[in-house]
Amino acid sequence: MNTFFEDFATFAPALVGGLRISLLLTGASLLFGLPIGLIFAFGVTAKNKILRFVSVFFVEVGRGAPALVLLQLMYYGLPNANITLSSLASACLALTWTTAAYSGELIRGGLQAVPEGEIEGSEALGMSRADTMRFVIIPQGMRIALPSLMGFAVLLFQTTSLAYSVAVPELMSQAYSTGSSTFKYLTVFIAAGLLYAAISIPATWLSVWLEKSMSKHL
Amino acid sequence: MDMLLAILIGLPMTILVTVLALLIGSVLALPLVAGLRSHNRFVWLLCRGLVDLLRGIPPVVWLFILYYGISVGVIRLTSLQAGVLGLGLVAAAYLAEIYRGALTAVHAGQWEASSALGLDRATIWARIIAPQAWRAAIPAYTTFAIGLLKDSSIASTIGVAEIVFMSNHYARQSGGSITVYFVAAAVYIVLSVPLGMLSRKIDIRMRKTVTR
Amino acid sequence: MTLQPVTVTKPVVEVRHLAKAYSDTVVLRDVCLSIPAGTVTAMIGPSGAGKSTLLRCLNLLEQPDSGEIVIDGHRLTAGERVNPKDLAALRRSAGMVFQHFNLFPHLTVLRNVSLPQERVLKKSRAEANAKSMELLTRMGLADKADQYPSRCSGGQQQRIAIARALALDPRVMLFDEPTSSLDPEVGVEVLEVMKELAAEGMTMIVVTHEMAFAANVADELVVMADGGIIESGPPRQILQDPQHERTRRFLRAVLDR
Repeated sequence: MNTFFEDFATFAPALVGGLRISLLLTGASLLFGLPIGLIFAFGVTAKNKILRFVSVFFVEVGRGAPALVLLQLMYYGLPNANITLSSLASACLALTWTTAAYSGELIRGGLQAVPEGEIEGSEALGMSRADTMRFVIIPQGMRIALPSLMGFAVLLFQTTSLAYSVAVPELMSQAYSTGSSTFKYLTVFIAAGLLYAAISIPATWLSVWLEKSMSKHL
Repeated sequence: MDMLLAILIGLPMTILVTVLALLIGSVLALPLVAGLRSHNRFVWLLCRGLVDLLRGIPPVVWLFILYYGISVGVIRLTSLQAGVLGLGLVAAAYLAEIYRGALTAVHAGQWEASSALGLDRATIWARIIAPQAWRAAIPAYTTFAIGLLKDSSIASTIGVAEIVFMSNHYARQSGGSITVYFVAAAVYIVLSVPLGMLSRKIDIRMRKTVTR
Repeated sequence: MTLQPVTVTKPVVEVRHLAKAYSDTVVLRDVCLSIPAGTVTAMIGPSGAGKSTLLRCLNLLEQPDSGEIVIDGHRLTAGERVNPKDLAALRRSAGMVFQHFNLFPHLTVLRNVSLPQERVLKKSRAEANAKSMELLTRMGLADKADQYPSRCSGGQQQRIAIARALALDPRVMLFDEPTSSLDPEVGVEVLEVMKELAAEGMTMIVVTHEMAFAANVADELVVMADGGIIESGPPRQILQDPQHERTRRFLRAVLDR
């Protein structure tokens, strides 16, 4: 057991460096993906045919295809279309797509869950459609969607572990190269797993707590 | 056409990994959910910790631990064994939470009413609670199964020759193309469509028989 | 144009030949109604009679199939496109109170009452808040201003909803079973507020099951059944001497319990 901790200490600098890139990738994908997701939330039911088609395409492919396929599409596939991105940029592009697709549906679900009565209440007061959207539906819909969006963010963070397959030097890839140079695979993968868990478990608790406290409030 | 065929060679493996992992998960989730509902603090803590840990670590890490990590003495898992076992363990944790949610969705009044009628525990579980909980679990269960179908692609990272593995293989051999990834994506989407339809069908049928 | 006879009280609400059906089910058939200013009209009748639908048609929460509605000079003809401006004007002159209050749960009590004033009447926040506080104080709810609706009792929530509607200075108040989701004791708080409003001369249309309120506060009682008005007149007269068999049956059912 002692050797496990000693090994852990030796591996830590490389692994923590990788973890920072995992977090960076998560943050960047959320930063770009969430606003696009909000657009998709409206786009998939929009009257404008082009907007609706584009939204449905990106949402369905983004949710229907494994993240691994999207990652490889961006990294190995795009260069054949004469677009060559760095590994980090292509991974970010792929996960932004995933984020936009999933968050689009989660936000749409939140907007639809706003009780009809409150929308009627707003209409009966003579508030315009845009005002009802802005002051009643969007703030409440986003609140309703928030816990599931947080749950998605945790899954996204875990999904960044697949970016090692497109040469992003994140946690998993650091663990793999450490493992292949020391042959202590078991130790290094357990260490990496614990680092992932150290972030995603508390984050999950937070989202569950948020959901509970909000259901009390609303 | 060549391309599609090359990719579809991986299809049986994708289905095999998904089905086996789902089976392992569905069964192992039962003791886990019993533990999550246990009044024994120790048992509860153990199961809670196990579920959180299984879900808190990305599947690919579990697969690597099982495939590269465990090679002590005679125990050495093949890539298929490691893939199925790893995904099955993670599935057990997620399904345990789904079962737990479904059991809480059964109204407490059902227990009270059944006990008041003098039914014994086994009957209450088998005839009253389980059918209602199963009905409540179906949408989440099928959503999870569709997710697992996509997650089975992770097994390609340890060399299981499923769809993504075969797509990569083809891409490398044919000198690379962007289309192969779109075709692979399309195969997954096409696969999940009938699953989704089946889920809705079961849901509607259950809604008719077990209305709440 | 016909020459209108000069009357002291011009009707605030006029409903002419209103009809509505959901696919095969007729919910309103040829309903005509005239509500003079300053009067309280109570609408009673068995559930499914179309009372709530009629009320919801008045501010176009539901679209009637045919007929005409005039509220405070704003005329709406079924089937014609309504421009948003007219719709907003009509809804401003008709304040609505719902069975389930329909407050905005993410806004404080004060914001619930102020936001519509700011957005619909284009008041400044200070003006709106002043008016809101005045109304909340009248309702005895000034101390709840900074709370969220979920922290208030049902009776308090309904009074907040009344304040929210009154804040837009409506010409007529529509009440859709305002006490039906409240405990009888709590409902009394709401009925008291409604009585005060009536005494101040507010024009009110109240869909209700509270027979005492209908008998004692209303000027006019309208009995509906199967989508139509079957009887209307002074409450005492109808309650003591119902003309229609359907009315008699309904009254027996509610009064003999």
